[in-house]
Amino acid sequence: MKALIKVSAVLAVSIFAAAPALADGFKDCTKLEKAKWKPASEAEGKAKEAGYEVRRSKVEGSCYEVYGVKEGKLYELFYSPEDLSLKKTIAKN
Amino acid sequence: MQQPLTASPDAPSTMPAHHDTPDMVKVWDWPLRAFHWSLAFFVALAWFTPGKYDSLHRFAGYTVIVLILFRLAWGAFGTRFSRFHAIGRRLRAAPAYLANLRHGRTGRYRGLNPAGTAMLVSMLILLAISTLTGWMSTTVRFFGVPWVEDTHSYVSDAVIVLVVVHMLGVLVMCVLQKENLIGAMITGWKRRHR
Repeated sequence: MKALIKVSAVLAVSIFAAAPALADGFKDCTKLEKAKWKPASEAEGKAKEAGYEVRRSKVEGSCYEVYGVKEGKLYELFYSPEDLSLKKTIAKN
Repeated sequence: MQQPLTASPDAPSTMPAHHDTPDMVKVWDWPLRAFHWSLAFFVALAWFTPGKYDSLHRFAGYTVIVLILFRLAWGAFGTRFSRFHAIGRRLRAAPAYLANLRHGRTGRYRGLNPAGTAMLVSMLILLAISTLTGWMSTTVRFFGVPWVEDTHSYVSDAVIVLVVVHMLGVLVMCVLQKENLIGAMITGWKRRHR
C-alpha cells in the first residue's frame, strides 16, 4: 500500500513536471534581469499602436506575451521586456 | 442484495455467464470500455499538446466533448452498469464509503462503487468545464479574457489530479478486493460476487 502511494506520487509529479516544458511555443526574449525590465503596460502599448485590440498580457518565460485581436483574428505577440521589440507573432486561428 | 448460492449450475440469473468460467460476470459493455480508453488517450493527448501543438490540442479537446456527450447518452440508454440510474444513491453513500476505505473496509459492487461514482461525476463536470473554456478561448469574444483562460488552466490541472487519484483508487481497490479491475475495464468481465 505504501509502495502504491509512492508510485502514484512519483507518477503525479512527473506528469506535472513534463507538462510546463511543453506548455508554450515561445519563451526566450531576453537575458536581462527582471528588475530592469520595462513595464508590461508598454508592451501592451506597442501592440495597440500596431492596431491590435489588447485583451491581456502576461509574463511567459523572459517575454511579455500580449493577447491581441485584429480584424477578427486572434494573435499572441511576444515582446522583449528589454527593448520592447517584437520577437514573435503567433496567429491562433 | 446478496443472492444465496445455489447448487444448481444453471440457476436462473439476470447476469450473463462467461462461457468457460462461470465465476465471471459481464459488467462493462464494449461502448463503455471504448469510451473509457479513448477518453484516457485524448485527455493525455490534450495534456501534453497545449501551445506548441495547438491543432492537436484542439482536436483532442473537441473529441473529449464528443466523448462526454456520448457518456451522457450512454448513461441514459446504455446497459445496466453504464446507466446513471443509481448515481444519486451511490453519491450519497460516497462519504461513508471513503471513510470506511481508510480502515480498509470496502463493500463489493459489481458496477461502480460509491467512490468510483463520485470520481465519474467529478471527472465529467471538470472535463466539461475544461473543454468548454478551452473552446471559448478560440472565439473572438472570449480569447484572452483572463477568467476564461485561468479557469481552463486550473480546471485542466484539476482533471489531471483526478486522473492520478483515479489510478491510485483503482490500484488500492485491486489490492483490497484481490480483483484485476484494469483487466475488467479491458475485457468487461469481473468476478462474480460471493
